Amino acid sequence: MGVATPDVLPGRRRVLAALGGGALLCGLAPLARAQAAPSPVVVLTSYPEEMMSRFEAAFERAHPQYRLQLRWRRPSDALTDLLKPGQDGVDVYWAASPRTFERLKETKALQTLGIDLSGLPAKLGGTRISDVDGLFVATELAGYGYVYAPAELARLGVPVPQDWRDLADPRLAGRIALPDPSRVGFAPVLVDIVLQAYGWEAGWALWSEIAGLSTLIRSGGGRVAEEVGPGRAAIGLSIDFFVAAAIAGGAPLRFAYPLHGGINPAHVALTAGAPNPAGGRAFAAFLLSEEGQRLLAAEDIRKLPVRPSVYATLPAGYHDPFAAAAAGGYAYDNEAGRARLTLVATLFAQMFIQGEQGHERYVALWSRIHAAERAGRDLRQIRALLGTPPLSERAAADPALLALFRERFEGESAELERIEVGWQWEAVKAWGEAERRLAALGA
Amino acid sequence: MRRAAFLAGAGLCLLPWLALPVAADEAHLVRDASREAYSLPFAGLGEYELERFRRGRGLFRQAWEVAPARDEDSDGLGPLYNRLTCAGCHPGNGRGRAPQGPDERMQSMLVRLSVEGRDPHGGPLPHPVYGEQFNEEAIPGVPGEGRAAVEWTYSEVVLADGERVELRRPRLVFKELGYGPLGRFMHSMRVGPPVFGLGLLEAVPQATLEALAAEAKPDGVRGRVNRVWSVERGETVAGRFGLKANAPDLRQQIASAMLGDLGITTTLFPAQNCTPAQTACRAAPDGGQPELMNAQLGDLEFYFAHLAVPARRDADAPQVRQGEALFGALGCALCHRPALTTGAHERFPRLSKRRIEPYTDLLVHDMGEGLADGRPDYLAGGREWRTPPLWGLGLLERVNGHGELLHDGRARNVLEAVLWHGGEAQAARDRVIRLPRAEREALLAFLRSL
Ligand code: HEC
Ligand code: HEC
Repeated sequence: MGVATPDVLPGRRRVLAALGGGALLCGLAPLARAQAAPSPVVVLTSYPEEMMSRFEAAFERAHPQYRLQLRWRRPSDALTDLLKPGQDGVDVYWAASPRTFERLKETKALQTLGIDLSGLPAKLGGTRISDVDGLFVATELAGYGYVYAPAELARLGVPVPQDWRDLADPRLAGRIALPDPSRVGFAPVLVDIVLQAYGWEAGWALWSEIAGLSTLIRSGGGRVAEEVGPGRAAIGLSIDFFVAAAIAGGAPLRFAYPLHGGINPAHVALTAGAPNPAGGRAFAAFLLSEEGQRLLAAEDIRKLPVRPSVYATLPAGYHDPFAAAAAGGYAYDNEAGRARLTLVATLFAQMFIQGEQGHERYVALWSRIHAAERAGRDLRQIRALLGTPPLSERAAADPALLALFRERFEGESAELERIEVGWQWEAVKAWGEAERRLAALGA
Repeated sequence: MRRAAFLAGAGLCLLPWLALPVAADEAHLVRDASREAYSLPFAGLGEYELERFRRGRGLFRQAWEVAPARDEDSDGLGPLYNRLTCAGCHPGNGRGRAPQGPDERMQSMLVRLSVEGRDPHGGPLPHPVYGEQFNEEAIPGVPGEGRAAVEWTYSEVVLADGERVELRRPRLVFKELGYGPLGRFMHSMRVGPPVFGLGLLEAVPQATLEALAAEAKPDGVRGRVNRVWSVERGETVAGRFGLKANAPDLRQQIASAMLGDLGITTTLFPAQNCTPAQTACRAAPDGGQPELMNAQLGDLEFYFAHLAVPARRDADAPQVRQGEALFGALGCALCHRPALTTGAHERFPRLSKRRIEPYTDLLVHDMGEGLADGRPDYLAGGREWRTPPLWGLGLLERVNGHGELLHDGRARNVLEAVLWHGGEAQAARDRVIRLPRAEREALLAFLRSL
């Protein structure tokens, strides 16, 4: 074969020769000539491939004058990039990481989005989903809840949990898949939903028991749904879209939104130094348009739109958080929780996990407690030992302490380590004491 | 009649492969017709193996970041690259597709480049400025290589029963070239192929491939083993992966995809993908040396090796059976071999001694001028392509939402793909054109059952 010159149209004869025997009618489509090069819109994101490629294709189809350049960063690295002078040439940040957007706003790294937001509520239930000052706007939502295998729950005789208290059921021992809040990005909010719903003390007490019934998932949010199935967990705590994608793919699972629900909004923002502000705005407007919002319902994405009017066009049974909020769900206040999420996750890890072996020991403790309770013992004091946090809600709201934890999101500190070791010590003492008392009771 | 004589021949040449002793279990098959059908592991993997499988899957799906990043396991993208993830071009472990028009970008397709001549090992000689693959994207501070767009030209074939089938053919247009004119060069457009069942194909003994190539076949069908350079072994071996069988094994295929598609270095290919003329590319920071650790390469290899193959559906329906017989009678099975037996796989024993139904011979065949890319790849000439496996074909729509086929995604369905067959497959293709409608439907029903 000779050297090909791609800009030369293959001759009609060549096509005919290639098609050989069959009778052939040949019609060549007119050639579109290249127009001016589209201008780049640089979008920093932490979304998975399915989400990136669908929006990339649809946005470029809708706006051929722009070319999307997707760059991928975990939120903590995205923050570093966007705080650099020049912001690495990024126009738009689009991710599900409210804390990162807050930090960007505080550091004046964003500019007003300045696009038409009509038809887009700024609040959902107790949570403000878009920034008051219009610096970042919610683009889609994810809901927290329970993924379960109906057959497995039935086998255990446990009804589908309606709310968090239903999880503290000894029949679920070892069969709850719980994402480790100190390792899995979406899990700290799960912890905080319970703390807000039932109050600090009752909330931690409830977590103490649920953690004692759980198997830990230490990486990747999608792993929770994978852990649920015959011979494994019967139920797992998760975000809806991981599960919806697995169900759409054929997994025999269901998802339930609890009465005390929570949502995690993703946002879009225009950087202060955006080289292509018009292109960035076009992208943000596309995400929020009816067309962009409908893409969220694709089988491999399954996020919740922020434009309520879109729900009417989605498949029957698609969870509508706006309707649920109107009925009283979603009282959870993300903003109130945001500042303490890292603290709460750390506390959780120290009170109930302490590494793989630590968690095994903790689970064993709870199985002894449940056994003794089945035998009629009153173990309220031992439960209190395990479920009482080493600091009060007020102490946990101390701005100096919260500042330390906020920095943890960006890196470690020695001061923080001291605090953590302190909590760990408290917990180890409580576990030891509980074990001693159980032994004394012959349990 | 010619067809009857032909059937007998095909039966004879397939028999020896059925006679070998094989594993009785079907652990390599999954009975799943969902969107996940190409993404499930072999049955019976242990916990440690599943953990490896998941790690490999994670690497296949993860997006790579520009170095430096806090997570050193995922940085080192580029300097030049095509996509951020492997899965982008192999969605659902299935097929990519070509852009539908000149304004659409190549989301799951790539363009290979070379110039006249051979590299020291007999492989293609990379373009002196643009390298072996056109990389549209680049990290900040480095110019991308430009844009490759596809325009379609249309033609029509009339079948014997009067049905008209429109065919389309892609034409490549380069725009916004980042490093000056391309000059004289050769190119090859390829969409990402499915990636399940590859360990089984790796386990087919080289001797089998050679025997298949040596067999006398009717219809002018030949087929030969491509011979390609193995970087790890430092010698020329049989090629089996890539659309021209241009990669020797999974490890090298993965490592070359890492470098060529994402710009990630490995111990096999430790140098960044920059040509001497690409100075900013050469000066860009890297994500460690190599960027993909050997353990990670091993996890990816394990993953592909243990992605199971979807079991057939409706195999016993009368129409499907009729189509299966036609598949043999028409001469399709001469290249798309219904059954092979794997040998012993040294590292992954679960792949060994299995009877598999891949519908490929892993040989390259002259497919005629219509499909030619004019770009030789080792022994595979400009008109030659590796017979693609057809297993899982019937689930393509379910997994990928389209039915597009052939190396550059030009065929929009199975019938179009068959009508493009030429060269050694010309006789088989002509028989399809002459088939009565009911028999054509039966052939298609059989292909849907794969
Ligand atoms: C830009 C699109 C693109 C990306 C990104 C991509 N691939 Fe591919 N892949 C292809 C194409 C096209 C082929 C056929 C290659 C050839 O013919 O040489 C292929 C072939 C393969 C094969 C061999 C399949 C076979 O049947 O022979 C494997 C395995 C593979 N890719 C794995 C990967 C891995 C691992 C990555 C990430 C490092 C990756 N791919 C990224 C497009 C892509
Ligand atoms: C001479 C060998 C040969 C014969 C005979 C042959 N094929 Fe193929 N087939 C190929 C090759 C090689 C390709 C890939 C061509 C390309 O990608 O450009 C292919 C591609 C295909 C594809 C598309 C698969 C994909 O993954 O893109 C289908 C479907 C197919 N063949 C079916 C058939 C049927 C049906 C027949 C009989 C009528 C047949 N083939 C006969 C070699 C052959």
